[in-house]
Amino acid sequence: MAMEKIARNIPTSLWDVASEKLIDIILNSPNAGKMPSDLAKTILYYWQRDQLATEVGLQRLLEASTLLEPQKTVSLMEELGLSEIVVMLKETL
Amino acid sequence: MVEFGIEFVPRDLYWKTTFYSIQAEKIGFDYLWVTDHFNNRNVYVSLAIASAYTERIKFGPGVTNPYLAHPVVTAQAVATLNEIAPGRVVCGLGVGDKTTLQMVNMEQTKPLSTIRESVHIIREIISGRNLEMQGEMFKVSGAKLNFKVADPVPVFIGAQGPKMLALAAEIGDGVLINASHSKDVENAMKFIGNGVEKAGKKLDDLNISAYTSFSIASSYEKALKAVVPVVAYIVAGSPEIVLNRHGISMELASKIRDAIVHGRWKEAFSHVNGNMVEAFSICGTPETCIEKIDKLMKVGVNQIVAGSPIGPNMRRSINMISAELFPNFKE
Repeated sequence: MAMEKIARNIPTSLWDVASEKLIDIILNSPNAGKMPSDLAKTILYYWQRDQLATEVGLQRLLEASTLLEPQKTVSLMEELGLSEIVVMLKETL
Repeated sequence: MVEFGIEFVPRDLYWKTTFYSIQAEKIGFDYLWVTDHFNNRNVYVSLAIASAYTERIKFGPGVTNPYLAHPVVTAQAVATLNEIAPGRVVCGLGVGDKTTLQMVNMEQTKPLSTIRESVHIIREIISGRNLEMQGEMFKVSGAKLNFKVADPVPVFIGAQGPKMLALAAEIGDGVLINASHSKDVENAMKFIGNGVEKAGKKLDDLNISAYTSFSIASSYEKALKAVVPVVAYIVAGSPEIVLNRHGISMELASKIRDAIVHGRWKEAFSHVNGNMVEAFSICGTPETCIEKIDKLMKVGVNQIVAGSPIGPNMRRSINMISAELFPNFKE
């Protein structure tokens, strides 16, 4: 629920860049083994359909990246200038 | 027109291999090859999940070997995959990786007979016929699948030495030439020609693939760092005739092999030099890769397989292939 709300607050203009950078964080994480298989399969489902840069795709990517790399996820949102999301993310961590 | 294949090693988590497989399909790769080593994730499980998330790309083991997996099991596996992804399955078969086979005390006994008989078994089993065979390497008494296979599964044979290349061309639907250098492929083409002639086939009927070790990056140094471990394995497993062609000493190759077998990775990789990288990989910036692919095409290759490691960052390297390589070779 929290991630759904967070994803909803990412401006449409930033969906592409946020999606790209979250994917990088997830794929390059040394904690990739922590990814739940169900979440991985959901991400693959959206990736196959080119829907990772959508509200629902971002929600799943955020779920994964906060699980694998919470600090890097917060830093990315700061880098994107999304201070409100930074606050929301910190509340969930 | 040249086709492109990509190889993944299922050392990575299954969802990463699948993610990259989807990416490979999206950017236009024609073939997806997944390696088969007992110490990595299982090739057929990896392919099954990749097939579920892709729609067009052809795929198969690249390559499996009949020493660890009996050909009837290979036939069963590719036949099952064909049910999941009809008409998209290919079967890469070879004698296996010497270094890995040594770990389980398995010898590559009579490789030519083993491959010839294996191909026969795989084809017969897939055809649905009841197989009776008293071969030199395999004896089969009344083996038959309990289900029908709707599509033919082309068999590609991985080869490097002269006799195996000729055999691969004679009995295979495709040859996966284990080479990255045009000099090796040019040399291979002579033996492929012999095999094709023996079978009474046309060269055009055969898919001739250069199965390369590939590393692309924005700088040579970055690409090099990624490719060194793979080149070490190739040198360790290469026959003397190939090493001689590139002026690589057997002594140095033996040192690398010994270090790998005993898990002394740093030592093994430290013996890899620029000459080995040039001989056994396509490594460098997009410009360098384009140049080497061009040379391979000129000597008669119609599929380029970008094999492991692809690059220092898999996702970026695949995107780089899409943005900077494919426009030169694909319409």
